[in-house]
Amino acid sequence: MTPATLTPPRNEEHTAPAPLRTRRRRLFLTPYVFVAPFYVVFAAFGLYPLVFALQLSFTNWKGAGEARFIGLDNYTYLLTSPEFWASLGNSAVMWLLIVPVQIVGGLAAAVLLANARLRLRGMFRVAFIAPFVTPLVAMAQVWIVVFDSDYGLVNHLLRLVGLPGVDWLTSTTWAKPTLALLFLWKTTGFAIIILLAGLQAVPSDVYEAAALDGASRRRQFWSLTLPLVRRSIAFLVVVQTLAVFQMFAEPFVVTQGGPYGSTTTGGLYLYNHITASDLGTGAANSFLLVLLVFALSLLSVRLLRSRDE
Amino acid sequence: MKHKSLSQPRPGPLQYVFLAGLAVLFVYPIWWAISSSLKPPNEIVRAPLSFSPGSATLHNYQAMFHDVPIGTGFLNTVLVVVVKGALTMCFCPLAGYAFAKYRFPGRHLLFGVLMLTLMLPTLVLIIPLLLQMSQLGWVNTYQALILPGSIDAFSIFWMRQTIAAVPDELLDAGRVDGAGEFGIFARIVVPVIRPGIAALGVLTTMNIYNDFVWPVVAVNDESHQTLQVVLSTLAQNVTGNRIGADFGSVWGELLAAGSIAMLPVLLLFILLQRHFINGILAGSVKG
Repeated sequence: MTPATLTPPRNEEHTAPAPLRTRRRRLFLTPYVFVAPFYVVFAAFGLYPLVFALQLSFTNWKGAGEARFIGLDNYTYLLTSPEFWASLGNSAVMWLLIVPVQIVGGLAAAVLLANARLRLRGMFRVAFIAPFVTPLVAMAQVWIVVFDSDYGLVNHLLRLVGLPGVDWLTSTTWAKPTLALLFLWKTTGFAIIILLAGLQAVPSDVYEAAALDGASRRRQFWSLTLPLVRRSIAFLVVVQTLAVFQMFAEPFVVTQGGPYGSTTTGGLYLYNHITASDLGTGAANSFLLVLLVFALSLLSVRLLRSRDE
Repeated sequence: MKHKSLSQPRPGPLQYVFLAGLAVLFVYPIWWAISSSLKPPNEIVRAPLSFSPGSATLHNYQAMFHDVPIGTGFLNTVLVVVVKGALTMCFCPLAGYAFAKYRFPGRHLLFGVLMLTLMLPTLVLIIPLLLQMSQLGWVNTYQALILPGSIDAFSIFWMRQTIAAVPDELLDAGRVDGAGEFGIFARIVVPVIRPGIAALGVLTTMNIYNDFVWPVVAVNDESHQTLQVVLSTLAQNVTGNRIGADFGSVWGELLAAGSIAMLPVLLLFILLQRHFINGILAGSVKG
């Protein structure tokens, strides 16, 4: 095979292919060994508890004592419980306060950041991501202090300009928006980075061609930019829908679900079954919440899929 | 240059104002928390806006260290980050390598299962896992904090994408030189994908350090609480006792604890920005 004019190959190169094949056969197990740890951990701490919990969701188990089979009672209890629906309603309101604002605001910031002629871009990017890396619990503490009705920073500022203070965390009207603001503050940088990457994947000559054809900036945004980042938007909507319906730490630390249950989200309501030792109902609630979250992500993927896909 | 000016106009002052305003909104709460934690307690309540470096004091930190088991929390978090992080960093790239470079029977099925687990919301597992932990007698143990979720599907998927880009010729060259299968991974693949490994490292560290939902459920005794759980206990004590509370001192401790918890990740982020951003972006690939 090797032309005689080349330097003669070293001995191993001739003999290598044969042992390679036998060794491959001998090492048939290698890839299985490499992937095994994940499946062991998943089987032990994913699949097993799921099956166990599914079984428990049909019992009245309270964390101790005998578990009695009660059929679908936990599910019918939840589906007819006003508290369960209220927790989903609270999450839905949070969703409305968060996701549209984040997508529109994040897209505006990302479009500006995508401009190659923008100065200080690195600095802006660092500023936007900083909230995303800080621990949520630590920032939830800051929210308690900043939005306190009596001595908080925000009401201090309002009073400075002659406005009355607001009960940010202790009124049913304002508690949800104030927690939504914490969520927005924490995760909008993530949205900006994802959208920015989507925008930068759009080749610049597409815009040049459009500009040469006389398309206005506004026209370019609606008919070029938006369709091209639709995948990034769809991804964000799915991820944030999952996150909002599972929201837990924000209300747990800042409001404990109050006032009057107005910030008891789907996630916090689920957790409350643990404190109440009502684990059978809690397991049933987990499965209902997951079904809902799955349905919502499927729906948003459907709605955001472009007509031509 | 001419092309550039056609497609991208110079940003106007209004656009800078918008971005700068947003940047201030994002960074100011962090700055406010850290600077306020250094103020004398009565100043936090009386003059929340002012900060003079001259009157900076560690009073709040001393009080907080005295009242809050934050040292224990920090050590527990470090332990969990190190052990759980090591499990992720060892086994996820290895599994990613197997999925990227080996053809073996059942590969598609196994990978399909992996992708399915990716869609499982964290929250659905909380109660089932807690039940399992109590069955095993693992509530309030380190293994409960470390093992569940220690080798995660997303990191494997990410590493598979990264390793798939490594040319096969490089691996074959290693085989010809007589390297074993693990040797090829450790001595050829890992050095080539070092930036990806670094991004996985910082993101894993950040995620485990900030993790809250599972630790708060799995652990309820002080000696096993992670830092984030210690913080949340402190916050609940504060919001639960408003009557007659000395807000300056209580908030001073709260802000001191929060600032201490923020500092390690913020430093890591400032030093390793590029890896953080790569890590965050990798997350969007799964969409």
